[in-house]
Amino acid sequence: MVLLILPAKLHLFPVQSRTSFCNVVYSHWIFFSLSVLKARIQQLQPDVVLDVHHANVQFVKAPSSGRGVSSGKGPKVAPKEKTDIPKSGKTLKAASKSKTSRWMEKLTREKKNKLTKEERLPQKIQKNVKEKPSGKSKGSKSGSALPGTSHKVISSAAPLVKGRARTKLSDEIRAAVSSTEVGTTAAAATVHKGPKGKQKASKKQGPVKEGKRQTEAKEPAEEMEKSLDQQGSRWTLSSNPQRPEEEEEDVEVAAAACGDVQLSIRSYLEACVFAGDVERAHSFLLSQHRVRSRRKLLNTDFYNIMMRVWAKKVKEAGLKPNLGSYCTALECMGRNPGCQPKLITRCLRQMEEDGLSADDLFSQCVFRQDERDMVLKAVHLVQPDYKPRLHARAAQCPSLRADHQYPKLDFTQEELQERFRQQLRLEEDCTVTIDSVEAAKPVTDHMRKLLADHRAQWQKILLQALRESKMILANTNTKDYRLNLYPYLCVLEDREYVDIMIQSVASLPPSGESLKILGRDLGHRVYTKYCVQQKQQNQVVEKLRNIYNAYTDLLAKDTKECIVLPSEYWGRLEREQSSGPSLQGGETHWPYIVSVELGIYMVDMMVKNLKMNSDVLNPAFERKLIPILYHMYTFRNTRQVGFIKPHPILIQMQQDAMESKLTFDSYVMPMLCPPVPWTSVKFGAYLLTPSKLMRTVEGATQHEVLLEKCQNLLPVLDSLNQLGNCAWSINKPLLDIIISIFNDRGSDKLDIPPPLSEAPKIPHFNAQDPAYTSAEKAHMKRDVINAKKKCSEMHSLRMDALYKLSIANHMRDEIFWFPHNMDFRGRTYPCPPYFNHLGSDVTRALLLFAEGKPLGPKGLDWLKIHLVNLTGLKKRSSLEGRLEYANSIMEDVLDSADNPLNGNKWWMNADEPWQALGCCMEIANAVRSPDPTNFISNFPVHQDGSCNGLQHYAALGRDVIGATSVNLMPCEMPQDVYSGVAQQVEEFRVRDAQSGMKIAQVLEGFISRKVVKQTVMTVVYGVTRYGGRLQIEKRLKEIEDFPKEHVWDASHYLVRMVFSGLKEMFTGTREIQLSWKMEARAHRSVTVHVVYICCLTIQLINLQISHDAKEPDTVKQKNAFPPNFIHSLDSTHMMLTALHCYSAGLTFVSVHDCFWTHALTVDTMNKICREQFVALHSQPILRELSDFLLQKYCTGLP
Amino acid sequence: MSTQIWRGADLMMRSACCRTIRSPSSEQPGAERTSPSSALTHRNLSAVAVQGQSRPLCRYDSLDLGEVEENVRRALACKKIRHFIVNPDLAELVTQHLRPENGRSVIFECNPGPGVLTRTLLNAGAQRVVALEGDKLFLRDLQELEGRLDGQLEVVHCDYFKLDPIGVGNLRPPVMYTDKLFTDLGISEASWTDDIPVKVVGILPLRNERGTLLKMVYALFERQSVYRYGRVELNLFISEKEYLKLVSRPGEMMQYRAFSVLWQMACDIELLHKEPWESFVKSSKQRMPSSKNQLPNEHLCLVRLRPRADLFSGGLTPTNASTLLMMVKQCLAKRKVKLIDRLNLWSPDSGSKLLSEMGMLEDILTGHVYPEEYLRLFQLIDKSQEFTQSWLYEEILENPQREGWG
Repeated sequence: MVLLILPAKLHLFPVQSRTSFCNVVYSHWIFFSLSVLKARIQQLQPDVVLDVHHANVQFVKAPSSGRGVSSGKGPKVAPKEKTDIPKSGKTLKAASKSKTSRWMEKLTREKKNKLTKEERLPQKIQKNVKEKPSGKSKGSKSGSALPGTSHKVISSAAPLVKGRARTKLSDEIRAAVSSTEVGTTAAAATVHKGPKGKQKASKKQGPVKEGKRQTEAKEPAEEMEKSLDQQGSRWTLSSNPQRPEEEEEDVEVAAAACGDVQLSIRSYLEACVFAGDVERAHSFLLSQHRVRSRRKLLNTDFYNIMMRVWAKKVKEAGLKPNLGSYCTALECMGRNPGCQPKLITRCLRQMEEDGLSADDLFSQCVFRQDERDMVLKAVHLVQPDYKPRLHARAAQCPSLRADHQYPKLDFTQEELQERFRQQLRLEEDCTVTIDSVEAAKPVTDHMRKLLADHRAQWQKILLQALRESKMILANTNTKDYRLNLYPYLCVLEDREYVDIMIQSVASLPPSGESLKILGRDLGHRVYTKYCVQQKQQNQVVEKLRNIYNAYTDLLAKDTKECIVLPSEYWGRLEREQSSGPSLQGGETHWPYIVSVELGIYMVDMMVKNLKMNSDVLNPAFERKLIPILYHMYTFRNTRQVGFIKPHPILIQMQQDAMESKLTFDSYVMPMLCPPVPWTSVKFGAYLLTPSKLMRTVEGATQHEVLLEKCQNLLPVLDSLNQLGNCAWSINKPLLDIIISIFNDRGSDKLDIPPPLSEAPKIPHFNAQDPAYTSAEKAHMKRDVINAKKKCSEMHSLRMDALYKLSIANHMRDEIFWFPHNMDFRGRTYPCPPYFNHLGSDVTRALLLFAEGKPLGPKGLDWLKIHLVNLTGLKKRSSLEGRLEYANSIMEDVLDSADNPLNGNKWWMNADEPWQALGCCMEIANAVRSPDPTNFISNFPVHQDGSCNGLQHYAALGRDVIGATSVNLMPCEMPQDVYSGVAQQVEEFRVRDAQSGMKIAQVLEGFISRKVVKQTVMTVVYGVTRYGGRLQIEKRLKEIEDFPKEHVWDASHYLVRMVFSGLKEMFTGTREIQLSWKMEARAHRSVTVHVVYICCLTIQLINLQISHDAKEPDTVKQKNAFPPNFIHSLDSTHMMLTALHCYSAGLTFVSVHDCFWTHALTVDTMNKICREQFVALHSQPILRELSDFLLQKYCTGLP
Repeated sequence: MSTQIWRGADLMMRSACCRTIRSPSSEQPGAERTSPSSALTHRNLSAVAVQGQSRPLCRYDSLDLGEVEENVRRALACKKIRHFIVNPDLAELVTQHLRPENGRSVIFECNPGPGVLTRTLLNAGAQRVVALEGDKLFLRDLQELEGRLDGQLEVVHCDYFKLDPIGVGNLRPPVMYTDKLFTDLGISEASWTDDIPVKVVGILPLRNERGTLLKMVYALFERQSVYRYGRVELNLFISEKEYLKLVSRPGEMMQYRAFSVLWQMACDIELLHKEPWESFVKSSKQRMPSSKNQLPNEHLCLVRLRPRADLFSGGLTPTNASTLLMMVKQCLAKRKVKLIDRLNLWSPDSGSKLLSEMGMLEDILTGHVYPEEYLRLFQLIDKSQEFTQSWLYEEILENPQREGWG
């Protein structure tokens, strides 16, 4: 009853700012806080004491823990000893005794005692607590002065409210008010009077509660402040190298650093809320709020997070004008059945005064579960016929619109929906276990069983360790300077953490892994799982299912034609089905540092707890419990890197067991249904697994910020969607051949990595043996090192191939999709990391289009030409010449197709043998079919760009001679720039050889296209002499007859020749490159990467500010700018081609500059490709770039 | 608190038993410069003393050091960042410390530049000086000097600090292998306990000081590179900052690193002289790197690093030395961890036994252990059966930059 009177009264009270809004909110707060109070008091009985007690324990313990010494440093990479795990001295000593089983027992017993003691302690401490507030709390605690600030105002206005509620309330209102400046001043005005009244009130009404609040406030405030301060400085430190010179950019970066801290606060809060630990989240927010420097970092959204929780708990909330807060306020009203329409009207009015409309609410806020409906319900109370009007997205660029129709997938709607269900199930599990292709090998089961037993035991141990350390973490707050990981350890089930850990042991390479990388992976896995579960909890899944099912309308073959693009269609569906939770923007990315720390915490737990007996394999060894993982350091230059290595015995066991199953994260697998189209920067690709539109280096937030600012990303998103919508299947006959070789002995020549049993034996020698001279010993030692290196290389290659083949084998009867994303230059990549069409010859050969198309009149010819291209022969012949050649070798082709392994093996000598073999088989099938033109082919035919980088350069520079050599000019014979350069270099060489240069003479007969190819290709991408030399060195080493002792000199000489050769051929091009280098130098700290996001015009030039303010690395910049720019042009061209191919109904896939399509449609694709190249370069690209740069950087100049 | 005090006391007690690093107490910065006049007399005296005694082959009474301005000009012509000794007094001072007139050691002078120190050394009666000059710029003048003398000076186009490169490919001077250099000079391998065969004098290149020092100490322990030819003594100018790290003692947690431990273990380290940076001529305009931490860096320190004759007498051999290197590096990657944890990591449960054998406290930190103790610890480990299965022996310092000697 009291509550209902209040709003009226409130009109009288003189709050200076936002009066009406506060009023509205206020009444809700009271409602809410009362119930919170009740709930809290209930919780308090056990809680308070524990917390308080803990403060005490810490105090007693502090000196002995020695933490003071080791803290206060920068980021801790290595897990330091947690002094708090076994309680101090006794257990440690126990640990050092070797009677392991007994002390384990003892340890657990002690721990239990400890915990029960902790619980018993309360009574004592409770007394203390009670005395505290009444004694001398006024202003003595630094924290207590602030929270009560606005209290005076309220208490004078509402004396009837219970004190408890009031303090609570005052806090919250203050929290809200203080985020505007007006609010702060208003609050500041009342600061002095505040605490007194509050203290009095609280003393009377709820000493226990107040006591808790006191300690609570102090404790997390300090804890988090410090850890965040530390983080802050850490971040500023780490962002240091990226600090720009210009002032405005300085601000940007400062904002970015601050954004990181915010992100960290935010993810902490969300993790707490998700784990149901509202108390912790709340006290954390308060603690942030209380410290002025911290408060600056807070924004309304943080409060909204909490309100959202409270809203649900108490059906009441409210707050401060930003859409999110109105939204929550309305939600509360919606949830409260007895809510007065007056309140809602006032709220809406206030919103209008703030320039916000109800429509904004529905189009911009993120909703979870039934939140949206609740808001709508509240609005309907006053405006029964209100319907949110959602804005359609910006219209598609007209040029692509021109009455095209888009191709359908070859599936019925029902099939697609079933596939969606499968994929959903997969992603809900987060991991997937598949058969290894090695499984077929007969292996003694003994080792597998042994390993499995150990694993079960480790699982148990880890589970217990996790629970214990969580228990300790939950109560260790007070003086911990590190980020408290507790909530992050609660977001999943204990069991799931353990599974993640065990899985990481299994996949640890024998040479070990850097601690940071291992930590990051573990953290990322936890994060992914958490995201998926969050989505499930927020009922996103259901909605996703509905929308996806409707989306299949667009793709399925049994529905009507549609002229919209997938992203548009999806957007429309989302608007139509707007009730329920929002699909996108729900999750906050964990900051890098959080995932790493969480991961390292888990690694530490593994290192400490996972043990086995040393005599497991060799009974002769003395039995000892040895850790299976150890933490050591490796040294790179002057840096030391923490490393986690598996114990040799574990490696032995894992290798012998040769496990039959492989476990992957679900996103490693290709998708079983067409990916969700990208509709915004944050949403697309996988169903539940979070994915990024742009691949970035960890921590490079600038890219993300810029990307979000991009106005017209749609064409880019559409082209990604189009690439992702291509369905794939496996070339089964080829897969079987490859697996048979893989399981046999591998083959270096065919790029199938041999098993470790083929590796060179690590020579063993006795260092003490006097029979060897020291020189021999040194030599043998070097052999050992080389053998080890070789082994670890072989192992990683083998594993990589094993993963790829196993995934392919798992997918052998499936049809699947690769969702795509891109890097900052706009190059596109498939998301699944191991098995995709970007991979090596082997993986490319395994992939077929799922959809088949007849060859048509010219298809067979194209297949043949494609085959010749794959061999790498006839580079300088015209297409007719290549076709002729293909026809002349048909016998070999058919033989290869029929007897790949036993015939005359023509295919093995091709540049890309496996793809060539696949092509042979396809040709054989086509030729033998009754009518080749109607032969249905799934085979992708590639059209390789010929040195795209140089093409773009030549086109930009309008350089005729250069253009001719890269096939931009119509020409009888296809030109081959590599052969051209090789020829040029050869001329130089002959000249030098005649003048008596030794190295030129040595090189006679060794200069080939292959030697120079890579260098020529990468010159445009900014390869330096140094890098170029390394490339050539590698090529020369591959040539068997080439005398090894001359490699260094020869490569040095050749790279010089290649550079001068290129200079002679591309005059204009070099000029551009030079001027760009100059330009970058002139701008000093400015790297420009230009993301052309295109719609036939340059739409967006994204400027990226480069980093280090102190010493701008001009060399790097001048070298990085041109290649990035060229890459952007290249990918722009690719995207344009992709979009136009899509609207022409083609299947189109790209591997950077190599475009794939069906044999039937090669001609069409080539036409589009050329048209788009011309269209792109008809734009005054350089002029616009120069204008842009002038405008951005030279405004100050005359 | 009490443990802290206890630890400190323990440290003091143990330090008393351990060898300390000698440094001349009188040589305070600024005070140690000999006045020009006294130096001059000294030189003349020594020239007089020398005449007719140990330089019978020299046809000249005293080599002319050349005009200071001229030498400065020539030094400045060098394109690389280098420091040069041009001041005759400084050269004289260095010469005194080297005592070239007695002893049969060959003197290697690294990068002599205009040759002021070279001449001073010869004037002081050095029997055999080998000038290793890496820059062609100075070669001609040096060779000319070589021709004027009667075998006391040999000039080689070689950079001492780039000896024994790791990469492959054919070498061209100034990079070369030690065996070629020593064979050419006719110096043969010597036993470790023999007299010092070669004294090296020079200025450590500022670029990658630490890396070069590490590379040299690895070579020392494994008796590779120049150390195959016996106990080569280094007399190097190194920056004060790096010197202080080199001689830092247990307990100085920031400075006490693996490389200090290894050098102190292997060598008697003596600070001969401190000279402000300004006394050297510097060939590049680039600013000196300012010291980022608290360590002062006002001087270049002439430090003598003389390998101990007894280094390989107590069970350490060039072959197992790599495990010692590994052990020390692992221990001192972090200085504030307990030694017992490290030991247990290598062989579970053997830590406390070893520590009690060593007479150390259970909770001793790795940063509180003296170099000599590390050596003794290693000898114990090497003898112990428990460590034979340890991965410590399997690990090899994998460092592409330094794995030069395998």
